[in-house]
Amino acid sequence: MSDLRVENLQLNFGAVQALDGISFDVAEGEFFCLLGPSASGKTSTLRAISGLESLTAGSVHFAGGDVTEAPVQGRGMSMIFQTFALYPHLSVEANLAHPLRRDGVASSEVKKRVGEVAELLRVTHTLKRKPGTLSGGEQQRVAIGRAIVRRPKLLLLDEPLTNLDAKLRHDMRAEFKRLHRELGMTMLYATPDQLEALTMGERVGVIRDGKVVAIGPPRDLYQAPSDTYVAQMVGSPPINFLQTKASSDNQVTLPFLDQPLIAPGAKSGQPVTLGLRPHDIALASSGGAPLRFNAKIHLTEPLGDVTVIDVAAQEAQMKMVLREEVAAKYSVGDAIEIAFDPTDIHIFDQASGARLGAGAQS
Amino acid sequence: MARKYREIGKAGWGYTAITSVVGFIYFFPVFWIILTAFKTRTDALAVPPKLFFTPTLENFQSVFFRASITTGTSQATDMGLYFFNSIFIAFTSVGLALIVGTLAAYAFSRYPLKGNDTYLFIILTTRMMPPIVVIIPIFLMFRLSGLAGSYWGIILLYTAFNIPFSVWLVKSFFDELNPEIEDAARMDGATERRVFFNFCIPQILAGLSATFVFGLILTWNEFLFALLLTGVETRTVPVAMARTLGGEVGVDYGLLAAIVTLFLIPIFFVTFLLQNQLLRGVTFGTVKK
Ligand SMILES: Nc1ncnc2c1ncn2[C@@H]1O[C@H](COP(=O)(O)OP(=O)(O)O)[C@@H](O)[C@H]1O
Ligand SMILES: [Mg+2]
Repeated sequence: MSDLRVENLQLNFGAVQALDGISFDVAEGEFFCLLGPSASGKTSTLRAISGLESLTAGSVHFAGGDVTEAPVQGRGMSMIFQTFALYPHLSVEANLAHPLRRDGVASSEVKKRVGEVAELLRVTHTLKRKPGTLSGGEQQRVAIGRAIVRRPKLLLLDEPLTNLDAKLRHDMRAEFKRLHRELGMTMLYATPDQLEALTMGERVGVIRDGKVVAIGPPRDLYQAPSDTYVAQMVGSPPINFLQTKASSDNQVTLPFLDQPLIAPGAKSGQPVTLGLRPHDIALASSGGAPLRFNAKIHLTEPLGDVTVIDVAAQEAQMKMVLREEVAAKYSVGDAIEIAFDPTDIHIFDQASGARLGAGAQS
Repeated sequence: MARKYREIGKAGWGYTAITSVVGFIYFFPVFWIILTAFKTRTDALAVPPKLFFTPTLENFQSVFFRASITTGTSQATDMGLYFFNSIFIAFTSVGLALIVGTLAAYAFSRYPLKGNDTYLFIILTTRMMPPIVVIIPIFLMFRLSGLAGSYWGIILLYTAFNIPFSVWLVKSFFDELNPEIEDAARMDGATERRVFFNFCIPQILAGLSATFVFGLILTWNEFLFALLLTGVETRTVPVAMARTLGGEVGVDYGLLAAIVTLFLIPIFFVTFLLQNQLLRGVTFGTVKK
């Protein structure tokens, strides 16, 4: 059953069109991520759903009713803002209690629920303090607490981790998954970070210039991106793109390969973009991958457990990922024989960016 | 260049000395006036000026009570009334201007109109106009409407003169707030009225205090309109002070100094009371938290 359904959301700020026909739905209890770069319309989408922004066109259906025209107050949704937006003049306790007080919950019950939520988020020791005296992580947890204390039917999260440091982000990703599991509420999570979307989202909607361009489980988006935009939005390091032309129908050649690739859907002479993920490139010596070629190492970026290696095969530049101990044997300028499996190649039309076939064969 | 940042609150001797000198230059006249207020008439006029003398409260007494020339008995002066007038008129009009200005500023900040900046500019220009330009029409208006000499007349005028300043200053404080805080309150279920009173206002209390004190100082010292538009019953201290200047017995500097000293007290008191808020307010939030 779909809990939230938005149809054709349009939102203009003067001449700026922030949302240009956003449509998607979220099932009850689902963790749905909106993934898009800055200024793509994530915040606007969440604000439109919450009623903070009034739409130019489109509709919002929530919990079985049309709430497009409903006031912000009383939609039964909560939001975690990018800036946390804690009430600076109130104590943490009063911050957490505010939604309950507005709901008219009896004060003994308020005290109990605030206590529970503080416990759940480990902020009990901060209850009497003002938000300004809290660390970033504590502020974040208070913001989460304030959003979930009234047990909303839908939780909207606007880049909740962007203002935190790397270590905290890692911890908080696990925390959000735990909360989702324990509380079972529907979550709509906006983020510019593909890692967050892929690790937390049960489904991900990729958003671009105020439009949703792809929706699906992270695995599908990663394995069969619908276009070049989606392909480069998901996966890290980003996918390698190689520009070429179809040499004949259903066939493309790459200058550094001695045999053509079967590319279903490509017309003879059509400019195409081939996508190959860094993780799908392996050392030829490791065996398995049938298509081998020679390349030269340009740059190595050790990340600790793995190393990202920039290689060039004739004119073509690519990134690949090797385990650190394997990569340690190579240095910049070395020749390297690498290989990939043609079924891992993604084929896109160069002009439109749209995906052409299911995958290449050799 | 490896220059160590000085810790706040630990200025070097050089800075401290310079600041002290500048502070002394500014404060000296005030200090001298206060000193004079405690001098006898002869001490006040002594040449060279006396720094050490036997203080007296004579002058303060004669601010409020004066021996009548004809009968020799002690008579109450009207100075008490004038002090009341100054306090009543200034606090009421600055308070009113702050209320109206805050509401207007919130509207300008959160619900901008088409051509918002034009309206704001027009409001500001009314403040840039030198008062002398409008004094004649206002004087005539007050005469015709019967507002001249009444409390409401001068309060209305001062309120009007304080509003532009209040709108501008308070708007800048609203502009600085994080609007997501208000949105969060709305999503929690707060009504618009509650958002304004319980979430916006508490966040700008420092700014409101600063605006209030600025307005109060300007209004407190205002002379021109008070001279022309107040009557015997509504006269303010600056006007009364000017009247003591021209007497047939020459200027009584001790008396004048006593009035000035008393006149300083309310402003000093309010500024002192609000000093913490004021510091944050005048720096427009740059020393927040
Ligand atoms: N209040 C506003 N006034 C004008 N333009 C806005 C406003 N809010 C957002 N926009 C514009 O709408 C677009 C989408 O913004 P936003 O939804 O904030 O994107 P995101 O959250 O993905 O970064 C951007 O081009 C942004 O500049
Ligand atoms: Mg945003």
